[in-house]
Amino acid sequence: MAQIAIDGVTKRYGATEVLKRLDLTVAEGEFMVLLGPSGCGKTTLLRMIAGLETPSTGRILIGGTDVTLTPPARRDVGMVFQSYALYPHMTVRENIALGLKLRGVTQAEIASRIERVAALVQIAPYLERKPKALSGGQRQRVALARVIAREPSVSLMDEPLSNIDAQLRTVMRAELLRIHRKTGMTTIYVTHDQEEAMGLGDRITVMNFGHVEQIGTPDEIYARPANAFVARFIGAPRMNLIRLAHRPGANAIEAAGIRAPVPATLGTLPPDLFLGFRGEEARPGAAHDGEATIEGVVDVVEHLGAQIEVHLRLDDGEEAVFRRPRGETIWHEGERAALAIPAAHLHLFNAETGAALRA
Amino acid sequence: MTEPTLHEVKVPRIRQWEPWFFVGPSLLLLLAVGLYPTVFVAYFSFHNWTMGMGPPVFNGVDNYIETLTSSDFISSILRTFLFLIVTLPIELCLGLAIALALDQTRNAWLRRLVQILLVVPIATTPSVVGMLVQLMFNTQLGVVNYGLHVLGIAPVDWLGNAHAALGMVMMTQIWEWTPFVALVLSASLATVPQDIEEAITLETESFWARFRYIKLPFLRPGLVASIVFQTIFTIKTFDMIYSVEKGGPGDATQMIALHIERIAFRGFDVGLASAESVLTLIVTIALAQTVVSFLYKDEV
Repeated sequence: MAQIAIDGVTKRYGATEVLKRLDLTVAEGEFMVLLGPSGCGKTTLLRMIAGLETPSTGRILIGGTDVTLTPPARRDVGMVFQSYALYPHMTVRENIALGLKLRGVTQAEIASRIERVAALVQIAPYLERKPKALSGGQRQRVALARVIAREPSVSLMDEPLSNIDAQLRTVMRAELLRIHRKTGMTTIYVTHDQEEAMGLGDRITVMNFGHVEQIGTPDEIYARPANAFVARFIGAPRMNLIRLAHRPGANAIEAAGIRAPVPATLGTLPPDLFLGFRGEEARPGAAHDGEATIEGVVDVVEHLGAQIEVHLRLDDGEEAVFRRPRGETIWHEGERAALAIPAAHLHLFNAETGAALRA
Repeated sequence: MTEPTLHEVKVPRIRQWEPWFFVGPSLLLLLAVGLYPTVFVAYFSFHNWTMGMGPPVFNGVDNYIETLTSSDFISSILRTFLFLIVTLPIELCLGLAIALALDQTRNAWLRRLVQILLVVPIATTPSVVGMLVQLMFNTQLGVVNYGLHVLGIAPVDWLGNAHAALGMVMMTQIWEWTPFVALVLSASLATVPQDIEEAITLETESFWARFRYIKLPFLRPGLVASIVFQTIFTIKTFDMIYSVEKGGPGDATQMIALHIERIAFRGFDVGLASAESVLTLIVTIALAQTVVSFLYKDEV
């Protein structure tokens, strides 16, 4: 197990800068998720930690040792590839054994580790099969077993669940967590799926265009997004962001259908703002003191099973989405409705820079 | 004709003769230039027929007995095997080395250039190869003897000395066919998925281990194809040796195909030559089959 430090790493391909002076520290035993849209540089960063790519500038440290130029095999990292990258001509047992054999682990030790790992990821019945005789989920487990058996100080996972079906994905997610708790391996996990990131990560690094937007626990990132990008990226449905103009000196911001208090502690506000709130934190009815009001016409009501999703069209054409419990019958398409949001759940962002404004 | 309605959609059916219509022309051509001569040769191998000396006369297996007891035939066969056993392993090793070097090359432009250059020996007309070889190995003017001279080695009579001539023909064969092996193996190496190569670089730095556990299994089909094809090509080698040495000096470079040619078109004993051809075909098929059954496993 080891701590990982990314120190001012930049990666350029020709004129394109894929990573921009990135700093990141992953604690020993931590499950860190790199989250971002495709092309944000998260896979490149993972491959640089593995040693499959070399940074243009900056350093990478594993367990305090500078490994920036160390060949991959000497870094003691294991990797689960998106495609699993199982050796097609070897049985599952041979796939797991090869890395151990090449590192000089004794035959007896290899056999006992394979047995242990096979039980852990539940692939014992398939040990003598070749990868092509396995289903996607089984292959995924084998790829995982191959890494766990090696007992590397760091395990890297590149979207390991993206190639299996949605139902199995939720099962495997829980399994990944269970295995992580058992092995305690420092893990860096790349995904573009915010739900997966929230479910798995001890902490999440949200990336965009080659830089870090925010690092924090799932709760921090959900409850206190550092900027408008993170606010939009995290949570399903995404946070409502409504563009507003602020008149200097006013103690509230107002727009068509919205009235929200502004805490005095925020100081001077920029003239151009986003007001953010999550649909699940609103309640129907009039606002009490210190709460915000949103008013508009119910555009569409969607039934999602346990919940309904209400789309509210504000008077200036903007749309806000709210999740409400199933069976709430007060929503009628085409009628006016009002919702209140407690001040604690309101977020303000500078519309120009995207940065969150906090007291 | 009626318009098809929703209830009676006519699914176009493939007529029985339709595939034959497309395959037919090439099939006819193959039958004409492949099967017909083979049957022809098999037929004459059981007949005593010297071209221009009356009609063929059936003589049972006499031609085969004469062939198998002919020291000339046996020595040609053995010489051909020696030729094969020396050149094939060298072609495989050099071809593999070139393929691995190409695989490691990150410079795509350089790789492309080498791949194109590799085609040159294969594409050169055999008679041109013969002339080039005669010139390069010329005792007085040749660049090979000049090279030896620079190294302080006495000139070799490549075209006149029996051992040297065999060596020269072997070198030419290797030069001509190593690129073929290199290209086939290069294509096999290209089938190794990138993520699998990356997975193994995370496990070991050793080139040998990466070769042994990952590249070799993917190379296997290409290696088998190379060995089978080179065995066949080498056994039937004719044009290059004919244009360089015509089997000489003496019979020093007389491979089986040259021997057959000599009997059929200089002695005009078509019956005997046919029997030799049939025996050569059988040996070739047996060898190729052995290689396939020993080495070929469909595992990747």
